[in-house]
Amino acid sequence: MKITQHASADTLTLLLDGELDASSSVLLDTELTKPETLQYQKVLINCQKLNYISSAGLGVFISHLQQFQDAGVKLVFFNMQEKVHNVFEILGLDTLMTIVPSETEATAI
Amino acid sequence: MPFRQRLKAVTLPLTILSWVLLLLSTLSHTNGQVATRLGGTWPEWITLMSQAAFAAFVFIYQRGRPDPLHGNDFVGLLRRLVLGPGLLATLCVSLHLIERFVQAELPTNDETFYAFIYTANLALFVVFLAYTNYSWRSLVLFRASLKLRRQWVWFEILLGFTLLFRLLDWVPPHPFDYFIVGGLGLFGVYLSGNQQWVAYLNRRQKWEAVLLQIAILLAMTVFVVYFLRIRFDPKLVAPAPQHAFLLLNAFFGAFYSFMGLLVTIFNLPTASVFEQKREEILSMQRLTQLIQKGQTEEEVYAMFFDSAVQTMDADAAWLTLETEEGNTTEQQHHVSPEQIASILELLQEHNLQHIEYLNNDLSGSNGFRSLDLPYGSLVAMPLRSAKRRFGALYMLKENRYGFDRENLSILQTFASQTVLSIENLQLVHISLENQRVQEELKIASIVQDSLIPKNLPIDSWFDISSYAASAKEVGGDFYDFLHLPGRQLAILIGDVSGKGVTAAFHVAQMKGIFHALMQENHLARSEREKFPVPSRFMTQANTALARCLEKAAFITASLYIIDYENGGFVFARAGHCHTLYYHSIKEEVSYFQTAGLGLGIIRNESYEKHIKNQFYDYNPGDVMVIYTDGIVEARNALQEEYGEQRLLYMLEQTFSMEADEIKEQILADLAEFSAGQPMHDDQTLLVVKFKSAQPDGLN
Repeated sequence: MKITQHASADTLTLLLDGELDASSSVLLDTELTKPETLQYQKVLINCQKLNYISSAGLGVFISHLQQFQDAGVKLVFFNMQEKVHNVFEILGLDTLMTIVPSETEATAI
Repeated sequence: MPFRQRLKAVTLPLTILSWVLLLLSTLSHTNGQVATRLGGTWPEWITLMSQAAFAAFVFIYQRGRPDPLHGNDFVGLLRRLVLGPGLLATLCVSLHLIERFVQAELPTNDETFYAFIYTANLALFVVFLAYTNYSWRSLVLFRASLKLRRQWVWFEILLGFTLLFRLLDWVPPHPFDYFIVGGLGLFGVYLSGNQQWVAYLNRRQKWEAVLLQIAILLAMTVFVVYFLRIRFDPKLVAPAPQHAFLLLNAFFGAFYSFMGLLVTIFNLPTASVFEQKREEILSMQRLTQLIQKGQTEEEVYAMFFDSAVQTMDADAAWLTLETEEGNTTEQQHHVSPEQIASILELLQEHNLQHIEYLNNDLSGSNGFRSLDLPYGSLVAMPLRSAKRRFGALYMLKENRYGFDRENLSILQTFASQTVLSIENLQLVHISLENQRVQEELKIASIVQDSLIPKNLPIDSWFDISSYAASAKEVGGDFYDFLHLPGRQLAILIGDVSGKGVTAAFHVAQMKGIFHALMQENHLARSEREKFPVPSRFMTQANTALARCLEKAAFITASLYIIDYENGGFVFARAGHCHTLYYHSIKEEVSYFQTAGLGLGIIRNESYEKHIKNQFYDYNPGDVMVIYTDGIVEARNALQEEYGEQRLLYMLEQTFSMEADEIKEQILADLAEFSAGQPMHDDQTLLVVKFKSAQPDGLN
């Protein structure tokens, strides 16, 4: 798992590359726990290269969901592969989280 | 050996008997009344015989007594020697004085009393010699070789022969008698060279030994002087004692004592060196014992520090330990934190902090001179293994050239021993921890195993088959059944995120919630409200779990309530895998596409909006396949997932079979797909097949 950051004025974009399993989800959790993360208006997650997400990986997003809402930070997923989207959908997360097809739409939100 | 034991038992009576005989025979030679009563002068050979027998029995008796040396208690042996036989010498002197006193008060010509005192003193002297000689034997033979032991026995035998000289009234022709006596004397001198025991005394004990040996020599002198003086007394009627035997014994006893005295005195100056060596060995021993006891690291370090300071006789010292948080000074001895800091800084400047370092002339090196320390020598000994550094020991001495190479090698041994014991302790700790975790997992596994229903529900209107496998010791999958009144069946399946003991704990919680919420509500107004509908159940479960589930954890679950009377079922899917279903009327296999959020994701009332009930009227022949993600996410060698499509295809092929067979077919296909791949996640599979109603069910 590789996490690449790209920050602009009000947007933080994280590119997730690889499989988000129990061990790599710790990395992601460290990134999202950083206090400066909550200072952005938007946190975009580029899922183009995310091949797999385990329940531990989902748990990381779930645990930060409330915090992001409280701080008024928008969490947006885009470029999600079909099977990863399926996992979000089965768990019902697609109704809670903003998942859009492309980066353009993500920035537009 | 019976003979020896019998001999031992009779020696004491025989000793006394022979002495009485000697006394009587001596008395018979006097001019007193007693002699008359004894029937006049007895033949000479009786006196000689009894005298020889007495000497022989006393020696045999002493020889058979337990070793007077207890362990390494040499001083104790000498002390007993002074107290016991020393007392005999005092007795001898007092007997002599009494005799003198009586002589002065009641001048008489009667030799009886005189002869009695003489015989008594002779006995005391023999006992004294025997006791002394056998005490010396213990010292001579202390850690002796077999050869030396044999030599000692020969010495005893040869001495015994000298007893026969007078007995047989045979004196070897001159100058052979000198050769024999002189030769045996030299033998005794040779044996007196065995003084190894002196090395085992410390300084104080050596002084004590010197004094005790002087006392023993004095006691011996008392006897010798007495016998020398009395030799020319006109009243001496008794025959002269067995000269050669007693003379040789007295000589050996005195010479050994004298040699011991000299050796001890010459050893006194080196006593401190021996003591230091002894201390080193003892410290080493203590350190080694500590390892075996498996004490704490702190204790090992403290022990190492104390031993090193004591052994090296350091004036100041400290121990620095390297931990993950940084360096800490653990032990200090007469040194201030400022001094430690300044020395360490200096060593670091010269990059010397991690190596063995010896500076015996601190005032001669510029760096240390500027620190103005009251010390002349410094030694630094790192504690390290091949893998890591543990810290270092620093020692200071006031004088220059305080440490030598030998000190360094001892310190090295100490250090390596300490490192070894610390590593051992850490290994023991790790293995204990592992064992504990293993044990915990085993317990959790047993608990979880007990949570899986052992008996499947049986009824005439359905057929159930189940399969469950854990990826690791403890997984997060669970399922359960509950028969409800009125031919209803509740089926719960789910998956707790995470693994291990926590997951098992949440599984147990879920089962508790299931059984608690599925209780009949007697206050319900209608039949429908007696049991919570699945969506209501999920909402309540979500509320219950909200308080105890950790932040990143969630649970997926599906609850099915099947009602035979109405031929239908209702279910709710809380983020769990879609239900695969074979519709016998439509002859079609499909997934129920319902929405529903996992439990514990939203932890407030708004969860209610995210869960729906789905009603369906089943027909006999319908098949329901319920599973966890471990099935559809199982991977093959190409890291592809088994997937919902392949599962659907499998049911299309097998729906006409019995539930058991359908399950087996799916599992066989799954095994074929993921052959050679490790199990990624727990796998649970339930197959329910609805059957046509039968009049007499086995309810």
